[in-house]
Amino acid sequence: MSLFSIGLSGLSAAQNALSTTSNNISNVYTDGYSRQLTLLGQNSSGEGAGSGVSVDGIQRQYNSYISSQLNQVNSRQSALETYQSQVNQIDDLLADSDSGLTTLMQGFFSSVEDLTGAPADAAAREGVLGSSNSMAAQFRAYDSYLGDMREGINGQIGDVVTQVNNLSDQISDLNKQVTLARARSGEEPNALLDQRDKLVSDLGELVDVNVQVQDGSTYQVSLSNGMPLVAGNKSFDLVAVKDSEDPSSITIAYEDGAGSRSPLKESVIQGGELGGLMSFRSETLDSAQNQLGQLAVTLAQSFNAQHEAGVDLNGDPGKAFFEIGSPTLISRSTNTGDGSMDAEYGDVSQLTADDYRLTYQADGSYSVENLGSGETSVASPDADGTLSVGGVTLTPSGTPAEGDVFMLQPTRNAAAAFEVVLSDTSEIAAAGADSGGSGDNRNALALLELQNQKLVGGSATFSGGYASLVSDVGNRTAITQANLTTQEGLSDQLYAYQQADSGVNLDEEYANLMRYQQYYSANAKIIEAGSTILDTILGLRA
Amino acid sequence: MRVSTVMMFERSVGSMNRQQSAFMEVGEQIASQKRVVRPSDDPQAASRAVGVSQSLATNSQQNDSRVTVRNSLSQEESVLNSVSDSLTRGKELLIQAGNGTLSDADRQSLATELRGVYEAVLGQANSTDGNGGYLFGGYQDGAEPFVKDASGAVQYAGADQVREQKVDSSRLMEVGNTGSDVFQTVAAGSGYVAKADTDNAGSLTFTGPQVTDTTADGYGDSYDISFSENVDGTFGYTIKGPADSITTGTYDGTSATLEFGGVRLTLEGAPADGDKLSTGPAKDMSPDIFTTFENMLSALENPLDSDVDKAAFANTLSTSSREMDNALDNVLTVRASVGSRLNELDTLDTVGSDRKISYAQTQSDLIDLDYTTAISDYVLRQVGLQASQKAFVDLQGTSLFDLM
Repeated sequence: MSLFSIGLSGLSAAQNALSTTSNNISNVYTDGYSRQLTLLGQNSSGEGAGSGVSVDGIQRQYNSYISSQLNQVNSRQSALETYQSQVNQIDDLLADSDSGLTTLMQGFFSSVEDLTGAPADAAAREGVLGSSNSMAAQFRAYDSYLGDMREGINGQIGDVVTQVNNLSDQISDLNKQVTLARARSGEEPNALLDQRDKLVSDLGELVDVNVQVQDGSTYQVSLSNGMPLVAGNKSFDLVAVKDSEDPSSITIAYEDGAGSRSPLKESVIQGGELGGLMSFRSETLDSAQNQLGQLAVTLAQSFNAQHEAGVDLNGDPGKAFFEIGSPTLISRSTNTGDGSMDAEYGDVSQLTADDYRLTYQADGSYSVENLGSGETSVASPDADGTLSVGGVTLTPSGTPAEGDVFMLQPTRNAAAAFEVVLSDTSEIAAAGADSGGSGDNRNALALLELQNQKLVGGSATFSGGYASLVSDVGNRTAITQANLTTQEGLSDQLYAYQQADSGVNLDEEYANLMRYQQYYSANAKIIEAGSTILDTILGLRA
Repeated sequence: MRVSTVMMFERSVGSMNRQQSAFMEVGEQIASQKRVVRPSDDPQAASRAVGVSQSLATNSQQNDSRVTVRNSLSQEESVLNSVSDSLTRGKELLIQAGNGTLSDADRQSLATELRGVYEAVLGQANSTDGNGGYLFGGYQDGAEPFVKDASGAVQYAGADQVREQKVDSSRLMEVGNTGSDVFQTVAAGSGYVAKADTDNAGSLTFTGPQVTDTTADGYGDSYDISFSENVDGTFGYTIKGPADSITTGTYDGTSATLEFGGVRLTLEGAPADGDKLSTGPAKDMSPDIFTTFENMLSALENPLDSDVDKAAFANTLSTSSREMDNALDNVLTVRASVGSRLNELDTLDTVGSDRKISYAQTQSDLIDLDYTTAISDYVLRQVGLQASQKAFVDLQGTSLFDLM
């Protein structure tokens, strides 16, 4: 073998190595780029002294095991980040102490105290009306803040689902391209592989998925319950749909190849932005809004009951002071019977911040599942045809079919409807039932005393009810923060491992650049040596 | 292990970010002077702080109540002082009226002065507080509690209950007293009052009654004594006591001392047939200071033309003096009770302000910032931030490219 061809093989190898290094350098900040390495091998065709070097391939430095671990961790981290950005909003809402709900409730009762001091005084009565209106308005403001968050989540779920579908589409497309490229050249389509792995990692940040490699080249991407999003070069869509049990919530359905949709249980999706949004909604948002509603209903109902026990300045029995809506009852949209129910507040001390799912059974009773505690029980209509669930009196009508589902949200929307209905100050019932006159403040004293009674759920005062909301949200936020910190640590570590394989270090690449430049020069010298040798021989003749 | 250039950059930027946000957090704490700004900063403390703030709020409500109650009670106390002055003057006038040398005209002028006192007391009984509410009307504080009816007699039109206010977590305090408690009641243990029947036609007068034995049978009951003229010029008397028990005896028509039910009544002068006396514990003898005034006034304005007139005058004077004493005692008793309520308010104020300090301290411990810790944290994190910035600059300066 001639020095020329050996030198040439070396020059070509050096060029390859130089371009790989240059590619590494130029892609140092490219997202999803995996470092590449030129694999050199000894040419095997020659005998004895050998016949130079050959480029065996350009290898992508990629550890699929670490990458898939990193994807999973990132998926959980993304869920927690989404959760945190949501729960922080409630945390901030409850942080505002000067115009906060607790301050306004205190202001309200303080005005009732003024009324006990001067029961007939117009200014004291005006004070009660004014402070009650501010308090009710703040209840509504808090509720609409939470309601806006719920709307926002519905919108975000739709957006994320669209992104998920786009990514699934692209991955299935890349599956096809990768297979084609491999078949065409027999070489690894490194750029396509990087691109596909990047898409899988992006997808993981939206929803938790499992990835399996089939036939050594295509990715099968599926949800945690095994339903595929990408299979070979096909992709399947998720759809954002209204929850059949609660149309105010957008949830997710899976659309199979034939276009039929099946609703996904929320437990299927726990990671990624989607998982974060849905678990925030079911764990924190629902309960926060329910607790707020429970406080509003309890305050309104107990204040009304006491107010109606008194006598106003005109000598008439007290009227309702506050208006509060009725409990929300939703017949599932897929119910086959025509049963419905009227819902009214019953014993307020039985009221909880939980939601209930009632399923009609063949024997005419309802199986009642408390969605907060998970407890189930059976309730049957009593002699009046009513049944009592969690402080709510339900009056069924129509004929439900077996298995029909009714969703009861006793307090979810209550705070939104919290209003003061009394407008005439003389109608404030400060006097006792047998009004002793304009100076009679017995009912005002009884109203004032409500703030010290354990009325919320029969176990907490109004401020205690608010304190438990504060503590729930505070704890949830703090736990999320702690989990996120842990997850970030884990993710950092795995990222370091992943980068150790796939990352580009410029110093290293610069050293390689030097090395391969020298390598190139050395091979050129080989050709020069060959040429000198040839010249020497040619010179002999002359 | 290979450390990629991207990671070096991201790590040092990430570290700067973390240091910066930690620095900002302490900064925010210092600016807001609170350790717990959001519930998540310390969920337990934040939720307990809600409870403590409620305690502070009720404490301040009770403080407001005490201010209102103190105002009312102070006003009442000052009115009661005037009432007791008036009644003292009334008593003096009654003592003057007992002087047997007074002419009808003298008594008429005494009557004029006594009427002045009467009107003053009536005005005091109808006095109002700053808001126009009648002090002694009870729940009925919107109209005068004492009004003259068609016959000129003063009637109580107020309520028999007074407003209460919550002056402490477990103390409802009465804000004042009803007019009937002040002007139509006698203090406990006021002894006996005797009255001669207005239709008496004899010259019988009485002194007393004196309580002699509070343990005697029948003590505390009311007795009616009626007289009948015997054929021999003496008189028979009948004492009708509890459960229609009857004691009879003979009275010689000049003087005698009757003892019954632990009470002694001294009689003088001759009654007419059918004359009556009644006696009983003061509280059962329809105490009413205005009636006392009216009776005394009409007695003073009536000329003393006969022994019968003189006897009637003496009897009315005797009854009225005792009623006036009882009324004064009662007013002083009510005033003492007002005074003790005011004292209690002072005590509750002290307790309330101690409690306020303790609640505020608890709240501060829960959510307020400990400046020493915060400032040392602030400095520490500032150092951390500067260190991470320095590390970033140094790291960016070390490239092989720069050295070759």
